[in-house]
Amino acid sequence: MMSPHTEFAAMNNSEILVVKDLNVSYGESKVLFDANLSVKPGQVVSCVGRNGAGKTTLLKTIGGFLKPTSGSIIFNHTNLIGIRPYDIARMGLKYIPQDKRVFSDLTVRENLELGSYATRDYNWEQVTSLFPRLKSLMDHKGGYLSGGERQMLMIGRAILGNPKVLLIDEPTEGLAPSIVEQLKNVFKELSKKTALVIVEQNLSLVCAISAKVYAIKEGRVVTEISDEESIRSNICEQYL
Amino acid sequence: MKVLKWWWGILLAFLLLGAARIFLPLPFANEIIIFSIYTMGCNFLLGRVGFISFGQPAYLAVGAYATAFYLYYFGTNPYIGILLGIGVGLVVSAIVGAFFVRLRSDYFALVNLALAVIIFYLMEKVLAKITHGDNGLWFLANMSSTPVLNLGKPGDFFIFIFLVAMALWAFYKYLDDSLFGACCLGTKINEDKLRFLGYSNYSIRWMAFIIANTTTALAGSLYAVYFGFVSPAITHPARAADPVVVTILGGVGTLYGPIVGSIAYTGMKDLLSGFIANWELFIGLLLVFIMLAGEKGIWGTLDPYLKKAFYRKGTVPK
Amino acid sequence: MDTQLLISGVIFGLSIGSIFFLLAIGLSLCFGLMRIISLDQLLYYSVGAYLTYTIHVATGNTWLGVLGGMVAAGLVSFGVERFVFLRIYERDITFTMITSFGILFAGIGAIKYIWGLIPRPVPVPIDAQLQILGTGVPLYRLVVIVISFLVYFGIWLFLNRTITGKAIRAGIEDVEHVEGLGINVYKLFTITFIIAGILSGLAGGLHSSLIMVDPQMGLEVLAFVFMVVIIGGLGSIKGTLASAFIVGQVVSLGSLVYAPLAQMAPFATMLLILLIKPTGLYGSKLLKR
Repeated sequence: MMSPHTEFAAMNNSEILVVKDLNVSYGESKVLFDANLSVKPGQVVSCVGRNGAGKTTLLKTIGGFLKPTSGSIIFNHTNLIGIRPYDIARMGLKYIPQDKRVFSDLTVRENLELGSYATRDYNWEQVTSLFPRLKSLMDHKGGYLSGGERQMLMIGRAILGNPKVLLIDEPTEGLAPSIVEQLKNVFKELSKKTALVIVEQNLSLVCAISAKVYAIKEGRVVTEISDEESIRSNICEQYL
Repeated sequence: MKVLKWWWGILLAFLLLGAARIFLPLPFANEIIIFSIYTMGCNFLLGRVGFISFGQPAYLAVGAYATAFYLYYFGTNPYIGILLGIGVGLVVSAIVGAFFVRLRSDYFALVNLALAVIIFYLMEKVLAKITHGDNGLWFLANMSSTPVLNLGKPGDFFIFIFLVAMALWAFYKYLDDSLFGACCLGTKINEDKLRFLGYSNYSIRWMAFIIANTTTALAGSLYAVYFGFVSPAITHPARAADPVVVTILGGVGTLYGPIVGSIAYTGMKDLLSGFIANWELFIGLLLVFIMLAGEKGIWGTLDPYLKKAFYRKGTVPK
Repeated sequence: MDTQLLISGVIFGLSIGSIFFLLAIGLSLCFGLMRIISLDQLLYYSVGAYLTYTIHVATGNTWLGVLGGMVAAGLVSFGVERFVFLRIYERDITFTMITSFGILFAGIGAIKYIWGLIPRPVPVPIDAQLQILGTGVPLYRLVVIVISFLVYFGIWLFLNRTITGKAIRAGIEDVEHVEGLGINVYKLFTITFIIAGILSGLAGGLHSSLIMVDPQMGLEVLAFVFMVVIIGGLGSIKGTLASAFIVGQVVSLGSLVYAPLAQMAPFATMLLILLIKPTGLYGSKLLKR
């Protein structure tokens, strides 16, 4: 067992998020085994793997929604274990779930207001410049938005407060190709300021934006590919 | 081997009860046994199916009044009265259960309590002509003496309910080990998965509901025969806490929980009511305390230690 | 049935419905946001009523008593939230239900200890009668109805116009998402719980002069409040308002037809509605978390 000090020392200064030997269980059944992951500021990192491999569990645990049985999550020199999700979000690490559920009874404006309320960041320019479509939908209730619009709103309200890392769970699942294309550009634009950890099944998107790819299989991180050449040859040419 | 082990457990429990018969006053022992039968249903529902019912007094009253009506108006044989109580309890819980088990567990708890209140008013006001309202029905003198075990005599009555309780324990133990018991736990933990396996959550819950509340009705019948008297007070909403408290006190879902809880609860009530008039304060705080302390209850806390003491190292069964 | 009886019956039903609404709205909000069934709301109702009695005895002013009752109920609920619920919000619903039942029970014991077992009377603060279509209607009952509507609109404004209210509405839909945005949901929980407690205290204070104040009063309205919450659908504010007045009328008009119907009719109504819709009139289907 390493003391917190050595853990910090072991951490590369240039990395914003380091997950080390993370183990997670749901009751009796273990779903994540010694997962390791590291993210540099502004880096786009993708996690690929089959359904049930433990990708969502990994993101939820980093976001503070699940308690790991062991391991550490160092974000910006702070160990996140035991910190409540809302504090983690305020520190600048936000999790965007895959269910694409915005608050359906609240309007788009109210949804954004809540994002601002939490972070005291009322600069909506950054949201509307990324998603001009949201401007015209301000007074529509969340429940009447399409799947793509909801995904835009979820990302939009999360980027308020300039988070340092965004954890995005299956952002393109079930969306039309044109919107996936739009999201690809959004992710590229976002990565100028924010590191992204994306769980994704759409491999062409993964290849287009990722600087690093983790393959997760049956609860274990089996491969880490971090140079673009290998990403292209290993994933894109094998699967596409 | 496996069979032998749990028989030993039950025998041990009953040896303790036999000792209780010798060392404790008879009314106290009788009350404990009936109370633990009463609690078994609640314990089964909460521990195995995950449904909490604040309306157990309703089913207690169904059994008690079925027996009381028979013994007051029609017959004299207490055995038939008890059988009738079980029968009516079965029918009522089958009908009521068909509606109730469709509900989510939160609605289920509320609806059951509402039912208990309704039955209270039904017995106190609406059917006052038949039930004699708050005065209750007295039929102790109506009961004829029966051969072998004369239920009119407290000593014989003790042996009778002792046997009944033993049979029920064996029955619930059998249920726990059976496929049905596994299904019940399944509906509690993950109803979707159970459905995918091809079981109907609805019918499993319905069966469990009928079993649990027929047991409760039986306890009601036993109360009726024991006291020779039934009044609406048996289903007063303030009594709704009793089975829940005892279940929690004893340890939810444990086989011996109801008996341990009943001894502790009845004992405490007897002891405390001598000192303070309003023991609700104490019972309520105790309930909150047990829940906050890990909701294991007395038996749940003792269980691991007892197992350690009785089995050699490394052979502790799960 | 003659008109006079009908009018006073309807007014009686509305005022009873108002009390039910004030009590049920807290239960419903707590369920919606925190997914707890807070049976202890009925304790704050008794606390409100008893404080009204005590302050009335001391000062002779019932309204002051109602106010004091609300404050006391708010304080007690704050304490309970701090020491008990804050530790158990994560647990499943049966767990919180049993615990809150324990609190209610302990509270009844405490009330018996402080105020004794004897029922206490509280005089009606407004004696005047109002003539509606030739029928004398107690003005106080009308005031109670007006207060409950004011509360409804107050809550509506709070939930729709303030950012905290909006966060609560969002939390009713999905607490995890609210937490994910960086909002301290436990602060929302505390606010909601205290609002619920204060409203229950208000219900107790207003109800105290219509009935006798006694230690079991919480248990006596328990079944009706449950029926209101179940018929309306747990977690729905609109549904709670509608069903509170439905139950109020069913109780009042039912008892005009045949006295014991006052208790039986709402139960029959509830069973009927649950048969058609197992989650109540406006209840949501899914139970997340």
